Amino acid sequence: MTRQEPPFEPAPPRATPADHATRVSRRGLFKGAGAAAVSAALLGARETLAREAAVADEVRTQGPGLVPITLRVNGEERKVQVEPRTTLLSALRLRLDLTGAKPVCERSQCGACTVWLDGQTVYACSVLAVEAEGREVTTVEGLGTPSDMHPVQAAFCAEDALQCGFCTPGMVMACAFAVKQHGKDLTEDQARAAVAGNLCRCGTHPHVLRAALRAAKGE
Amino acid sequence: MKAFTFVRPRTVDAAVAALAETGGAVHAGGVDLLDRMKEHVDEPSHLVTLLDVPGRDAIALEDDGGVHLGAGVTLAALAENDVVRRFLPSLAEAAGQAASPAIRHRATLGGNLAQRTRCGYFRIASFSCLKRGADACPVRAETGVQETAAVFANEPCASAHPSSLAPVLQSLGAQLGVQGPKGARSVSLAEAWRAPEKGVAGDLALAADELITAIVVPPRTRPQRVGYEEVRQKAAFDWALVSCGVRVELDDDGRVSDASIVLGSVAPTPWVATAAEAALRGKAFGAEPIAAAAKAATQGATPLSGNTYKVRLVEVAVRRALTRALEGAKGGAR
Ligand SMILES: Cc1cc2nc3c(=O)[nH]c(=O)nc-3n(C[C@H](O)[C@H](O)[C@H](O)COP(=O)(O)OP(=O)(O)OC[C@H]3O[C@@H](n4cnc5c(N)ncnc54)[C@H](O)[C@@H]3O)c2cc1C
Ligand code: FES
Ligand code: FES
Repeated sequence: MTRQEPPFEPAPPRATPADHATRVSRRGLFKGAGAAAVSAALLGARETLAREAAVADEVRTQGPGLVPITLRVNGEERKVQVEPRTTLLSALRLRLDLTGAKPVCERSQCGACTVWLDGQTVYACSVLAVEAEGREVTTVEGLGTPSDMHPVQAAFCAEDALQCGFCTPGMVMACAFAVKQHGKDLTEDQARAAVAGNLCRCGTHPHVLRAALRAAKGE
Repeated sequence: MKAFTFVRPRTVDAAVAALAETGGAVHAGGVDLLDRMKEHVDEPSHLVTLLDVPGRDAIALEDDGGVHLGAGVTLAALAENDVVRRFLPSLAEAAGQAASPAIRHRATLGGNLAQRTRCGYFRIASFSCLKRGADACPVRAETGVQETAAVFANEPCASAHPSSLAPVLQSLGAQLGVQGPKGARSVSLAEAWRAPEKGVAGDLALAADELITAIVVPPRTRPQRVGYEEVRQKAAFDWALVSCGVRVELDDDGRVSDASIVLGSVAPTPWVATAAEAALRGKAFGAEPIAAAAKAATQGATPLSGNTYKVRLVEVAVRRALTRALEGAKGGAR
């Protein structure tokens, strides 16, 4: 699917100290800022109406009832009906039967629901499903399959990096992100930082770190 | 979570208009807001999201040397962006230590400054809380859970302000860009807070239909050093127990001409350690005045019986942050 409603346009070129030509004006950040207030004060009723219509054009609303959306999950388009309050985690587990990501705290405080949104780790319990439309969602199921495992999944098996397994899908997604970011140069400190937001009550962390490093080195 | 309408404006004007019209809540990364909604502490009928507003995540070096940060910049971007790392190193450091990687990918700067206190009485609907309309703050009661509560200005409410970025930005003299129905205004972060009041949940003095659009750090006018330190219970994935951002201006003889020392998580809003600042002014910047300033930072503390240890942490955090500023001669150029 092509992105019809990008969540936001790419940021203007980032100015670096050596790149004075691309500096962005302070006032130019949000185009049209202040225009509504000016219009209310200065324009006649007709213009105000036109302005209101323009503002209406600038807003889209969803819900509170069911909204049909198309999610792109693990490279596949999936149509689902969700309420705006449905989290991405609920949509994945309850509507799409992708139960890899786990609901544990549902408060951004454990990491069991870690997935990738546009290639970056996020907690699916704090993302709304409607926000994920038009973006790429990757879950542990999309990383690899039992017969064709991602190097991190294979390394988790080789290093015995799980016990009860509840934190494992999140751990795998966090480690795979670190491997993607740092490649074979991944250090133990970087791996440690990468899983800082993934709690394990069974105490698998030492094995998880070994698995991440093994996967990074391509062993 | 109660059902709500998701309103997706594409401009700041439309967002402000939608807030005024619906009485809804601003949604950015949702890390803080959705938590409160899941606990039924907040039950807005509409969420007005900023996610579709272009340019919300811009970071730019201004012509005058100031740095402009869009309200939608993520904590991950603050930690990694070259402009922030080079010109606002204490901010990059604070952002890189906050929460966890997955949260930093989502959490925005605007949401971080406007996040509500972590006080358990505030966050759990079945408890009573002054900020949610009760007559008294249960933290202050003899039976109150007080460990992480405020040790300064903790009457009538002992909630601690959770942001570890706010003290750094305030030490750097940051300005908030705010947009409302009457237009845009700019307010210094130092003057943007309001003390707790019965029934007022937010700690920023913003109207319900006002938005933070940007945070601007002004250019430095003289040589200065900056530093950031925090003390936390866990090494990561938690809020700080005490955080501290400092900025020290030096004259040609290496004497302190001005100092800004701001603490987080010790008062209901970011706390300016004025006695510590005074203890540094006019002194040759070094270990002795730093120790004196750190001690002075505890002046006026009114700890509760359950959190006297936090006063000691204030001293430690201020000493460490100032020592970082002293050592970071080159790194802390701005
Ligand atoms: C486990 C954990 C650890 C954490 N550790 C730290 C830490 O160490 N240091 C720290 O500072 N924080 C920490 N946080 C808090 C986190 O950084 C904030 O929750 C986050 O930054 C909020 O940003 P958001 O974009 O998700 O905001 P949202 O949840 O979308 O919004 C938060 C609040 O701000 C309002 N808001 C958002 N944007 C704007 C705007 N532009 N204008 C006006 N109002 C607005 C919303 O209405 C809402 O009330 C932690 C959080 C978790 C879950
Ligand atoms: S379930 Fe999402 S972080 Fe715990
Ligand atoms: S393996 Fe059981 S929680 Fe990590």
